[in-house]
Amino acid sequence: MASTKRIAKEFADCTTAPPPGISITLPSDADLHTWHVTVTAPPNSVYAPGRFGLILKLPTDYPFKPPTINFTTRIYHPNITNDSLGNICLGLLKSENWKPASKIISVLEAVRNILVEPMPDDALEQRIADEYRRDRPEFEKNARAYVERYAKGSVNFVQAPPPPEKKDGAPAGATTTGAVNPGRAAGRQGGASSGSASRPAPPA
Amino acid sequence: MASFNYDDSDSPRDTELSSLVAIYPEIQHPRSDDPYAIAIDIPVNPSKPVLVYFPAAADSNPDPRAQGTLQQNGASHVNGSASGGPLNGTDRVGGAGSAEGAGAGAGALDRHEVAHLPPVHLEIIFGPDYPAEKPPVITISADPPWLSKDTIKRLEDDGPRLWEEMGRDMVGFTYIDHIQQAAENVFELVDEKGTLEVDPQHRIAIMDYDIRARRAAFEKETFNCMVCLDPKKGSVCHKMIDCGHVFCVECLQDYYNNAIKEGDLASVRCLAPNCTKEREQAAVSSSGNKKRKKPKTYISPSELLQIPLDPETVKRYVTLKYKTELESDKNTIYCPRQWCNGAARSKKHKKPQGLELNEHDEDEEEEEETSGVSKPYNATDLLAICEDCNFAFCSRCHQSWHGEFVRCQAPRKNEELTAEEIASLEYMKLHTTPCPTCAAPAQKTHGCNHMICYRCQTHFCYLCSAWLDPGNPYQHFNEMPGGRITGCYQRLWELEQGDGDDVGLGFEGGAGAAPPGAGRAGPAAAAAAADAPEAPPGFEGLPEQRLMELLMADMGESDDEEDDFGGPPPFGDRELDRQLAQRIEAEAQNGAGRGVGEVAIAREGPLVLRIDGGRGGGGRNQPAAGRGRGGGAAGGAAAAAPNGPAAGGGRGGRGRGDNARGGQGAGGANIRGQHQNRGGAPNNRHNNRNNHPNHNGVGAGAARGGRNGGGGVGGAVRGNVGGRARPNPNGPRMDFDNPDNVQVNVPDGIRLDPQQEAWIRQFVHLALEDQEDLLFDDDDW
Repeated sequence: MASTKRIAKEFADCTTAPPPGISITLPSDADLHTWHVTVTAPPNSVYAPGRFGLILKLPTDYPFKPPTINFTTRIYHPNITNDSLGNICLGLLKSENWKPASKIISVLEAVRNILVEPMPDDALEQRIADEYRRDRPEFEKNARAYVERYAKGSVNFVQAPPPPEKKDGAPAGATTTGAVNPGRAAGRQGGASSGSASRPAPPA
Repeated sequence: MASFNYDDSDSPRDTELSSLVAIYPEIQHPRSDDPYAIAIDIPVNPSKPVLVYFPAAADSNPDPRAQGTLQQNGASHVNGSASGGPLNGTDRVGGAGSAEGAGAGAGALDRHEVAHLPPVHLEIIFGPDYPAEKPPVITISADPPWLSKDTIKRLEDDGPRLWEEMGRDMVGFTYIDHIQQAAENVFELVDEKGTLEVDPQHRIAIMDYDIRARRAAFEKETFNCMVCLDPKKGSVCHKMIDCGHVFCVECLQDYYNNAIKEGDLASVRCLAPNCTKEREQAAVSSSGNKKRKKPKTYISPSELLQIPLDPETVKRYVTLKYKTELESDKNTIYCPRQWCNGAARSKKHKKPQGLELNEHDEDEEEEEETSGVSKPYNATDLLAICEDCNFAFCSRCHQSWHGEFVRCQAPRKNEELTAEEIASLEYMKLHTTPCPTCAAPAQKTHGCNHMICYRCQTHFCYLCSAWLDPGNPYQHFNEMPGGRITGCYQRLWELEQGDGDDVGLGFEGGAGAAPPGAGRAGPAAAAAAADAPEAPPGFEGLPEQRLMELLMADMGESDDEEDDFGGPPPFGDRELDRQLAQRIEAEAQNGAGRGVGEVAIAREGPLVLRIDGGRGGGGRNQPAAGRGRGGGAAGGAAAAAPNGPAAGGGRGGRGRGDNARGGQGAGGANIRGQHQNRGGAPNNRHNNRNNHPNHNGVGAGAARGGRNGGGGVGGAVRGNVGGRARPNPNGPRMDFDNPDNVQVNVPDGIRLDPQQEAWIRQFVHLALEDQEDLLFDDDDW
């Protein structure tokens, strides 16, 4: 099958000569369509030295359809949803923009690139985007706090479960409003996973 | 072909010829009886492609305008070759380049970039007195004879000259090498502007040779297909005519066949990333500050055939492309004959002939549009002629052409919709959102709610069908400048898994009834379109309206009582009733999932109140998550109003992350006044699965049960308030002019306390003066 062959080739390229700051593993040798990608934030970005886990999924009709990418490590970034899903908005990945000749490596480089240069005009998290534009020191402080809390140590590739049912308003409110205060988040989750650098389990 | 042995090592002729044959294995022997006559073809491949210019007979008076175009043409050709390599511009079948030149007709335009000229045929006879006494006899020719006699003479004379210069020695190799080098700069025939003048009678032969030579060179090359990443021989590759990117035929076929099968025409473009962008930049830089013209991104049918794609597929591509073009033009008129449904002939869109698209100039189109704004009305403009069946009809009344002096007749009586048609309409209403520009229904398969119309590329919101600014589409889901928010605030990822029957979740999308809490921008207003004249033109009606027109050929020119409120396009009674039914049902839905008990009031939409019975919890009567609703998946038929063709199926509200759907809920009451069950219970039965159509037009919709819903009889009362509400002539109406007389009809089991009643009255009061927002200062609205 054409798709598997190309994926195998791209995987080989990416692992033999990995692009800077990106390393790739396969969670299961039998399945080439799910990649675990570790992105080390570029040193000139506010996220350095954080390491971020991404799950890259390749559809069966790849490269005719674009891959999907989710951050499994939480990140404070205007273009990445500040919740357990870690959705990312990249023009390249939109199906109407996707070109079959685009390569995974260029997608990953684009992802790494938005760590250096967020695009507040295409924000998924408008509040963070506004903060990025208006109060850069505060944004950087928050971003660093997130790196400190989530993006240190070993990288976790546990993909978020579907959003939990809202039994009480409080935890859900944090994600839906997008106004997570790192301090508060830390306080809330501190008890459950203090000291662990991996992404804390979502509230049961 | 004869072959000879030159074994007489004493003869200088034999020595020379044996080494020549060794150096040039392609040497031929044109005369079987003379081993000393040789022939060789010298290819003429200029190191840099030359512009070949074919002066036409009538070229004495070159048009300055044509000159301008010509330069532009030249520029773009050169561009192509810079990125492209051997095969471009004039490709395989002759391509766009040559067709352009021929079509333009003007002699000045007739120039082409050529990389391979027909070879020069060299015949050399080494006579018996050679080399000591006589020079070799040289004949030069070319097929076609594109070299002038003078040139040939000059080249032929070079032989004896060189022979003399070498002291009458063996000159064979030197001469052949001399011709080869001269061929590289086309025998110095190219003028300082880089053009080569050739007699126009050889035009076709020269172009043809160039094409074949480029093709041959291309086929010998190896390319890495950018899609499958495999190295492929040029013979199984295709080079895109417009941009020069190379892909293997297999990948192109796979991709385009699939895209055309799915109707995804926008994808039929070059597969290389950033291709359009690069070409756009190139076009801008080469044409200076000229009016920017978008380079063409789609692929012409003839190129698809060259790849090659199946003619059937290309046919489908052409047909779909034309159809899309027609459909995205709201001015298109369709043939009223049911078996035909072709489009009326129009100047703007030309029906494709065979496999060729009629490309129209977009600039022209724009001009037409701007100038056509204030066109005076002309009765003959009503005449439309179907391009398929040539039926002449009136574009207003859709009946056969009655001449310009006869008034349009009333439309025929509507026909019934078949069950299948109803089901399709129903499904579209439930699981699609219309594009706000062209009304094409879109169904989301996955991802966020920022949609781009597959047909007209409009950006819009899947939840409420609102047009989104392509520059910043996400703002709609976020806070607007000034802190304003829409009903879709923070709902970008709702329905991430898509929309459809199999999803099991639904939302009351742009095509359906009002989504609870969709707010001002949302179709809440659309559901009430029949009532609220100032509501945005009902998105909700559009696709359906269109279908209805098609299905029922119903172009009602309404002149009955509906006109008095100056509302949306006249659908006739049915449409009105249908919307009413939908609405009633939407109201009924809100009752689902609520138990009997305490009564609470919440504001549901800009002008919609919800009065709920049986909330367990206290406080504000908002469901757990601000915008997430535990609203029941109310389905089934709601009450059909009299004559109602179909009752709209309701869809359960879906909250973000809130899957708790409503249980058995039934009934609804509203204070709009259609409700006749004054004081009586509107059959709020727990197991009200049989939804009897209620021909009194009463909203006794039954809600389908959800899984984990906290079931129970709920009564929902929604008030639509104020002068915007259109009273139903069938029911007792409320006296909105005197809000103090508002009587609230509520189902059994709900008691409003005086405070709440007073509050509702105040809301109505304020709403009449458009000041209802004062009540909700702290709210989302």
